[in-house]
Amino acid sequence: MQGLEMPTASMVTLAIVQALLMLALAPLATGFSRVIRAKMHSRRGPGVLQDYRDIFKLLRRQEISPINSGTIFTVTPYILIVTMLLVGMALPAVTNESPFPIAGDIITDIYLFAIFRFFFSLSGLDSGSMFAGIGASRELTLGVLVEPILMLSIVIMALIAGTTDLGFISKHMATETWSAPMATLMAGAACAFAVFIEMGKLPFDSAEAEQELQEGPVTEYAGAGLALMKIGLGLKQLVVAQLFLALFIPFGKAADFTLPHVLMGFVVLFIKLFIVFLIAGLVENSVARTRFLKTHHLTWSGFGVAVLGFAFYLTGL
Amino acid sequence: MESIALFTLVVPFIGALLAVLVPKQCKWTAQLFSLLATLGTLALAYSFFSAGAQSTHFNLLSVGQIELFGFTVDKVSTLIAVAVVSLGFLVSFYSLGYMSPANREHAQTGDPRYYAFLLVFIGAMAGMVLSSTVLGQLLFFEITGACSWSLIGYYQKESSFKAGLKALIVTHIASLGLFVAAAFLFKATGTFSIEALAQLDDTTKTIVLCGVLMAAWGKSAQLPMHVWLPDAMNAPTPVSAYLHAASMVKVGVYIFARALMSAGNVPEIVGMVGVAGAIITMIYGFIMYLPQKDMKRLLAYSTIAQLAYMFLALSIGALGSRLALDSGVTYLFNHAFAKSLFFLVAGSLSYTAGTRMLPQLQGIVKGSPLLAVGFCVAALAITGVPPFNIFFSKFSLMQAGFAMSDQYPWLTPVLVIALIESVASFGWIMYWFGKTVLGEPSEPVATAQPLPASMKFVLVVLIIMSLFSSAIAAGWLA
Amino acid sequence: MTALSVSILLYIAGALASLALNKAENTAIKLSGILGALGGVAGLFASVPTLLNGTTVVKQIYSPFYFADFMIRLDPLAAFMVMVISVLVVAASIYSISYMEEYKGKGAWAMGFFMNTFIASMVALVVSDNAFYFIVFFEMMSLASYFLVIAEQDKKAVDAGLQYFLIAHAGSVLILIAFYMMYRATGSMNFASFETLRDTAHALPVWESSVIFLLAFFGFGAKAGMIALHGWLPKAHPAAPSNGSALMSGVMVKIGVFGIIKVGIVFLGAQVLWWGFVVLAFGCVSSVLGVLYALAEHDIKRLLAYHTVENVGIILMGVGVGMIGMTTGHPVIAALGLLGGLYHLLNHAVFKGLLFLGAGSIIFRTHTKDMEKMGGLAKVMPYTALAFLIGTMAISALPPLNGFVSEWFIYQSLLSLSHGSSMAVQVGGPVAIIMLAITGALACMCFVKVFGVSFCGAPRTENAANAKEVPAPMVMGAWILAILCVVLGLGSPWIAPVISSVATSVISMDTVNVVQGAALIPADGTRAILSTPIIIIALSALILVPVLLVSVFRGPALKRRTKRDLPWACGYGYEGRMTVSAGGFTQALRSMFAPLYTLRKILDPAPAMNAVLTATTNAARKTEPVFDDYIIMPVSRLIIRLADKIKVMQHGDFRIYCLYMVIALLVLLFVPVEFGGM
Repeated sequence: MQGLEMPTASMVTLAIVQALLMLALAPLATGFSRVIRAKMHSRRGPGVLQDYRDIFKLLRRQEISPINSGTIFTVTPYILIVTMLLVGMALPAVTNESPFPIAGDIITDIYLFAIFRFFFSLSGLDSGSMFAGIGASRELTLGVLVEPILMLSIVIMALIAGTTDLGFISKHMATETWSAPMATLMAGAACAFAVFIEMGKLPFDSAEAEQELQEGPVTEYAGAGLALMKIGLGLKQLVVAQLFLALFIPFGKAADFTLPHVLMGFVVLFIKLFIVFLIAGLVENSVARTRFLKTHHLTWSGFGVAVLGFAFYLTGL
Repeated sequence: MESIALFTLVVPFIGALLAVLVPKQCKWTAQLFSLLATLGTLALAYSFFSAGAQSTHFNLLSVGQIELFGFTVDKVSTLIAVAVVSLGFLVSFYSLGYMSPANREHAQTGDPRYYAFLLVFIGAMAGMVLSSTVLGQLLFFEITGACSWSLIGYYQKESSFKAGLKALIVTHIASLGLFVAAAFLFKATGTFSIEALAQLDDTTKTIVLCGVLMAAWGKSAQLPMHVWLPDAMNAPTPVSAYLHAASMVKVGVYIFARALMSAGNVPEIVGMVGVAGAIITMIYGFIMYLPQKDMKRLLAYSTIAQLAYMFLALSIGALGSRLALDSGVTYLFNHAFAKSLFFLVAGSLSYTAGTRMLPQLQGIVKGSPLLAVGFCVAALAITGVPPFNIFFSKFSLMQAGFAMSDQYPWLTPVLVIALIESVASFGWIMYWFGKTVLGEPSEPVATAQPLPASMKFVLVVLIIMSLFSSAIAAGWLA
Repeated sequence: MTALSVSILLYIAGALASLALNKAENTAIKLSGILGALGGVAGLFASVPTLLNGTTVVKQIYSPFYFADFMIRLDPLAAFMVMVISVLVVAASIYSISYMEEYKGKGAWAMGFFMNTFIASMVALVVSDNAFYFIVFFEMMSLASYFLVIAEQDKKAVDAGLQYFLIAHAGSVLILIAFYMMYRATGSMNFASFETLRDTAHALPVWESSVIFLLAFFGFGAKAGMIALHGWLPKAHPAAPSNGSALMSGVMVKIGVFGIIKVGIVFLGAQVLWWGFVVLAFGCVSSVLGVLYALAEHDIKRLLAYHTVENVGIILMGVGVGMIGMTTGHPVIAALGLLGGLYHLLNHAVFKGLLFLGAGSIIFRTHTKDMEKMGGLAKVMPYTALAFLIGTMAISALPPLNGFVSEWFIYQSLLSLSHGSSMAVQVGGPVAIIMLAITGALACMCFVKVFGVSFCGAPRTENAANAKEVPAPMVMGAWILAILCVVLGLGSPWIAPVISSVATSVISMDTVNVVQGAALIPADGTRAILSTPIIIIALSALILVPVLLVSVFRGPALKRRTKRDLPWACGYGYEGRMTVSAGGFTQALRSMFAPLYTLRKILDPAPAMNAVLTATTNAARKTEPVFDDYIIMPVSRLIIRLADKIKVMQHGDFRIYCLYMVIALLVLLFVPVEFGGM
């Protein structure tokens, strides 16, 4: 396995392009989810481009901050987008290897998600709204419950591939034969579960439970701030879905950095994301929100699956 | 050197006589003569070291070949002589302030018999420490017993009389051991000189040493002859500090140490018996801390436990470790100062606040900072926390013990128990420190009257000695 | 070596100056702080050259005790500890110049004395190369900090002080027994001779070295505040003044870890596999339980104290991996683990010091430790708030700050355990990783709560509303540490090699390579890469994207409207009391993890110990008169009865007495003549 080095200029360009593309496509993904929900509710729905219309409208509105909020409240939307963009740059979305390996270490990525969660919740507390406060508390609690599942499933993959770099794991999964297929499948199932929770979909959307909590930490945002928050949350869904895809369904990506292969990689990515959001939409609209205080039963079951996967790995399956 | 030693021995007795004959000036007579005796021991030490620090032996009185009385001037005897006599002076000086009508707990002036017996005691201690014969030790042993009886009963209450009599009888029974030892020594070697111990065969040596050990246990309040010490707290506090902390109880330790140093090869059984007795007393002493509410009784049991440490050290020394013997002697030296400090703090609390009952004392640090510092230093010193003095003796004791435990594996659990006891008593004493010294002043402390200068001076000197005495002792014995 | 002596002399000077100037408290406070800070700077001058060039200096000083030589040794590990101490001392001393005003009239001069003595004994401790002097300075360190803990002199502080001092003293006795056992095996109290136990030729039998290791582990572990022996930490650290708490949490507990490294690795060479597992296990449990219990607190200093338990656990995880690596013969794993542990030691000292100083600033102005009485402080204390935010981000291990870098190294070292041979090692790694991950998430939650409830939102009480920014020295002290958090994170490609060289010198191997250009690698190049400078550059560059987005599409929007609108309350009138409280924030999580919380109530030894104490006291009270009642009184009664019987001989008639004398004379004359025969 070759060593990791500083990325070349073309790799960096690709990384920036893919990150900006994800930024541009985030509202499409969330719009798509809205349409699926509408269809499953036997409605027509607002169309997949509705979120773009919403965002541009919001960007033109005045921003309002509650009376006791401070700098954290103002700054959070920017921080959310910036951290997700950085993860986006590092994902091996269209290529087998990560175009920006500096931020492509699994541990770094998980902790970049932690920055997201940290500031998202802190802004909820800063706004002074009680809905935001409870939403923040729930967001962090879910983070605690999800972390072991995500970490264990990723660690199993890291142990199988022998590295914590996302790109190398992805390449290993794409190109080599699977040395521990059962373990990989179990880890995949657990990771899918964890990613589903991280996407904030029902039954786990406790933090921004629209009916209960008025969208939680997002409650008090308005205007450009709200637009950026929406983009940020959509971007997170995209990024987290791609993390799962890169680890467990890495087929069809470009093996090198030539332009036709990369374009082909983008197409494959679109298709994969479409399927992922479709399945996620179908699942989320078939269930109701969990009672928050019972969530840990579900997450510990998910953790159990991951532990099973680890046991399989140890025994060499 | 011989004349200085004789001077040191005789001067306090003369002072005692003068104190009785000239009752008006008894206070000042006591100060003068105890100071002279102290200077005498210092001069003795100085001349000893300048003459090359060689152990010397002076014959005072002998009948033909039989040596009856004599002086031994060596490192250990000069060190301990300085300690006991200078503490005698400090206690006399303290009594200037303590034995006065201003004392809130025991308001009365010091009678001539108080100072007279105190001076006799100082002389007897000097004689005991410097004595080179068992007979001399025996003589001064009994003199100290008599002084103790008188001084314990000083307040002339029913309980004081009982306590004094108990002390006298128990220590006198213990002295039977010393009589037996003297008899066997004389029968085997024809002399009373302690050096002659080395010439004995093993059985006789064991009997002699066990006799000395029995006398030592009685005088130093080890189980089962410890019963007199807690009740001896009926004595005036300076007496408790001097007799029952600094010197009389050390007599037992000293005669045992002397015997071991002169005995050459000590039979193992002596060491084993010593260790067993020491560890049992240590545990018993600690357990008895727990119900005590009177500060002086707590300190009495603490003294019993600390003396057990000294016996442990000497017994390990009997098994063959020089470091252990040295640590026992330095422990004796250090403990004298630290325990006197603690007792004199208790006395000062009696004087100023009118009580020495621990539950009634609180917030001393706000009432009298000097007493708080004294209490703190004494507590830390006694429980063995560096940089105060007793830690250094305890450390070297344990070091010697562990080195010996290679040969005697049964020593390891004994040492571990001793260390556990050390931590436990640390906890208990610091618990009382927290309750009595810190916080808001209770009623007796808040209405405390100021301390006289003589008492303050002595406390300060003792605090300083509690820091430095270990270095002094280590350098002295090296 | 001279810089080191200068540093210690400056601390002693600060202590004595504070003592001497006890009437002029203002001057005493300032002088003690300035001299302490200068001592810290001198300490840095002493330690940094040794760290950079890896040499060891050994010196012997005069010792008045013939059974112990006063050896001083400045090797990379000692220099590292001196550096950690000095850094924190500089910040805390500068901070104390203003902070001690809080204690004027309540013994600030005494605290200056004890603080400087505490620091001096810590520095002397880490460079002592003889067991006797090590213990002396160890106890003096506990003694000095005891007086800091009882500073407030109320019942809670006194109880905290007693528990702290007792556990510290008991711990030092355990260490003492371990040292004595090593002395018995090697014949000398010098650490240089203890190190010979490391060679397999001189190694002790496994049971004996295991006993020594366990004694030292629990003794030093009590000082480090690891779980099961941590009871004193949440009581003692809050009771001390905040600069004292910063030093105690930041440096004193690290002395415990230093001791474990010294005994386990340097002296005994980590020869047995399960030792490393014990350390790793205690580390994992400490970290999870520490942060879990921190979540239940709303006293800010108690919360930070529990976080110290957590971070000590993380450091011990790194040390545990180091030991496992040494035993299994994988020096690279060992170096990596120890590097993570030592780096986290440094980082924790910096960010925990910062958090305690920040907490002290809050308490200075609001006069309360209860977070539920704070709120909205970020607007009135902006500098403190920003420094505190950096501290919370560092302790939550958010990239690119220092906490993340050291945790990254620990993660990599735990992953590298999978190269190990035995099943236990292979399972141990991922289990520890999971626990570290849970810890990270819990810490994140806890510090969002701390910062959010204290600094954000609306003020909850009058005191919080009327607070102002703290005086300049306090801000400076906190900012020194905040900047250091950033530097240690961004500068990690240049700092990690230095710490790595310390780690490899402890394990006695050649250096490992942990840096590639401006990036960190886990020592064998292919597996992972982390470059904090590049991350921060990327993050700063990416900020342009949303900024551009907003400014391009903004249109004719009005300026942001603030300071006018209340948060939405479903149509009801909004009240400050509606916001989530510190307790409410964590309530869901606490109910989910309820079994772990009841665990600490079940395993609390205090009620059992109290029962034993009361029983023993009663037994003692009954036993005390036994000797009098059953031995002495019967004997004296017997004697009196005998005397009564003999009394009949005293008639009072002198003629009978003359008869007695005659009889006696006759007996004495006849008996020797009849039976003597000589």
